[in-house]
Amino acid sequence: MEFVISHLVKSYGSKQVLKDVDFVFEEGRIYGLLGRNGSGKTTFFNCINGDIDINSGSFYLRENSESKEIIKIEPQDIGYLVSTPTVPEFMTGREFLKFFLEVHDEIKPDKTIDEYFDYMVIPEDDRDRLLKDYSHGTKNKMQMLLNIIASPKLVLLDEPLTSLDVIIAEEMKNVIRSQKQGRITIFSTHLLDVAVDLCDEIVLLHNGRLEPIDKSNLGDSDFKDKIIAALKEEDNA
Amino acid sequence: MRNGFFNTLTKVNHLRSIIGYNGLVYALKKLPLIGKHLPDKLYALTALKIIYWIFHIIKEVSMLFIGKIFGLGMIYLAALLLNKAYIGYGMTEGISGPNLFASFALFMFIIYALFGLMLNTRLFKCTTEKEYLVFMLRMNPRTLNNTLFIFDLAKLVIGYFIAGIVAIIAGAPFWLWLGIPVLAVCIKLFGAGILAAFYRSKSKRNKLLKGSTWGLIVRLLLVFMLLPVFMVLVINGYYVPLEYMLIISAILMLLGVWGFFELAKFDANLHRRALRDNIVRKEIENYREPVNAKQFKRLKANGTVKGNKKGFEYLNALFVRRHRTMLVLKAVIFTIVILLIIGLILFGFIYRYGRTFGAENTWAMLFNNFINFFTGRGYADALQPVDDNAATLFFRECASKQMLLMLIPLTIADISFKATQAMYINCDNSLMTFSFFKQREKIIKLFDIRLKQLIRINIWPALACGLFAVLILFNTGGQDYPFQYLLTFMVPVLISVVNSMTWLALYYLFQPFTTTVNVKGGAYKAARIIISFISGFICWIPLNTAILAGVLTVYTMVYVPVMRLLVKKYAPQTWKLKS
Repeated sequence: MEFVISHLVKSYGSKQVLKDVDFVFEEGRIYGLLGRNGSGKTTFFNCINGDIDINSGSFYLRENSESKEIIKIEPQDIGYLVSTPTVPEFMTGREFLKFFLEVHDEIKPDKTIDEYFDYMVIPEDDRDRLLKDYSHGTKNKMQMLLNIIASPKLVLLDEPLTSLDVIIAEEMKNVIRSQKQGRITIFSTHLLDVAVDLCDEIVLLHNGRLEPIDKSNLGDSDFKDKIIAALKEEDNA
Repeated sequence: MRNGFFNTLTKVNHLRSIIGYNGLVYALKKLPLIGKHLPDKLYALTALKIIYWIFHIIKEVSMLFIGKIFGLGMIYLAALLLNKAYIGYGMTEGISGPNLFASFALFMFIIYALFGLMLNTRLFKCTTEKEYLVFMLRMNPRTLNNTLFIFDLAKLVIGYFIAGIVAIIAGAPFWLWLGIPVLAVCIKLFGAGILAAFYRSKSKRNKLLKGSTWGLIVRLLLVFMLLPVFMVLVINGYYVPLEYMLIISAILMLLGVWGFFELAKFDANLHRRALRDNIVRKEIENYREPVNAKQFKRLKANGTVKGNKKGFEYLNALFVRRHRTMLVLKAVIFTIVILLIIGLILFGFIYRYGRTFGAENTWAMLFNNFINFFTGRGYADALQPVDDNAATLFFRECASKQMLLMLIPLTIADISFKATQAMYINCDNSLMTFSFFKQREKIIKLFDIRLKQLIRINIWPALACGLFAVLILFNTGGQDYPFQYLLTFMVPVLISVVNSMTWLALYYLFQPFTTTVNVKGGAYKAARIIISFISGFICWIPLNTAILAGVLTVYTMVYVPVMRLLVKKYAPQTWKLKS
């Protein structure tokens, strides 16, 4: 399966945030979407998630590069993890999970609610507390857990590790890695180290366009310099 | 020094015009429909900036006229009228006309100026331009504050001199024309001096440099107390001798000189601290502002949902349970109040009846009228027949032809708007980030559940209002036509159904809220205004209840499915997060 973006354009007034974005994302890989602050990463995700209208272009799924058949993206195909997790505050974690499983009648859960909590390392004494009293990290884990259960074809992660402590960030990274098979994961961040550590591919969002970075030297000391140089180019572009 | 003054003034006015102009363009760009068509280039259009600058000057001059010339002009006018009246009635023994005029004018002016002194404490107020100039551009805060203060004083003097010309023409002594602006400056300096001394004392005690609201109220009350004194004097044909007024003026002038020295001692660091503390205070108030949002956060994980509810039914039941006080309390209180009023009226009537005609007759009357009520007839009793007075006729007219007035109490009792705010803040705001929540079928499923829930809550006040109207009919002659009781009862119920649907559908179609419970959508605001206007207009239309009930039934039967259809069609695009 592939996620194809074709000539996507998004402007705010006269300011073009996304200019003719053209890219193909492949299944089973984690894409690190790197860009500077204000480069349009969240706008890009919001466009894909249907939260804001696009000016032109299209995006869809297809089986493979030879396939002519376009698969329209439905809301249930997308899992979106926002950087500031929001959860329904009047429910407890357990109540929310129960509700979530019930409204997704297409999901056949392979675990009990407590097993899901265990999988995400959510402490037992948090499970029956109101979500409004959860820490930032636990709220983030809840959001991730729901996306795992819903099992969408396309997972958009908008800086999910920002402001998490080291332990929770590591736990989250492990979960993201373990969930990459069978879906396309796009992980936005402005932290180069996180992208290099977690992602299979690095894509730069700069000057309103997506550009792949040669991944053959991923991990080399020169690699970082190359990306920084590429990002700096936008100032001169 | 003069160069420094004009330099500072130019910088402030330049910055003011930039802030004002950019703020105006920003506001225009936020307007619904036209806003998005306005280009960003507007921010850089020199021609428009010049036009704005001209308007800015016109505004400054107008403020000068309104605030200064008009204020003092009114005082001179009042003094002139009093003077003429006193001369007319021969109450000017021992004082010349111009001096009497001056006495009145001085008395009123001092009260006016003291009021101004209490309210006008702008010297240390940190406006946007002061914030930029002092904290970002590192301008000397003392120079800035003093420049603006001198500019204010200059405007004051010019304004008062202009107003004084009218007084001279009206016969005021020449020294008054010169004296009042000087006195005004001294009172201003006195006010600034008090503030400076107060802030310096606070600074020594390491406290936040801010004015005291209670202090202001006490001072205002003291000044207010001078007004009755003046009125008593005038009503009794007295006046304060000019010599006394001149002594008071001289004291105020001396206090002004004291104020000048106090202000001179107030150094740049204190000016900076006063401005900074003003910002701190503003920020504290901003934090306090979302009190409105806070009320939605008082949640406790008490109890859970009983029964076998699943999915959205479960979500809604939990939501109502955790927001019970917020959602149900208002409707319950309203219903209880209406029922209490009905109960008290009935109790009063029965009690008086029992005292007059005895218990046996009372029971007989109650039994007969109980039967009458349920057989559609009106109140009837041989011992105490219906009194056909104007009040009876008025209430009957309301219950039989003005049932649209029910819109007023039902709008007050309606909880739909607040319920939609709570839905957004505590539930939808977060669930909207999940894709399943935006699926058409799921949106409409939850919409239906919520609509039923809102109707279930809003219907109680409607039932109570319906009962009230039916009892009025019963007590004023019964039914004019078959089923009049039933139709009268139906009207408020149908109105409450329409209300519930309207607010819920508007929420789904416009989603106007932000996480701080502000209403952001222009279209939603417009819809609210239009609905309020229409409701305010139609509630006064007289309409026979039978016709009204028929129209409302048909309207509800069409309106509810049409709105539901609109929600089903458009909500997947419109029901979104707003930043």
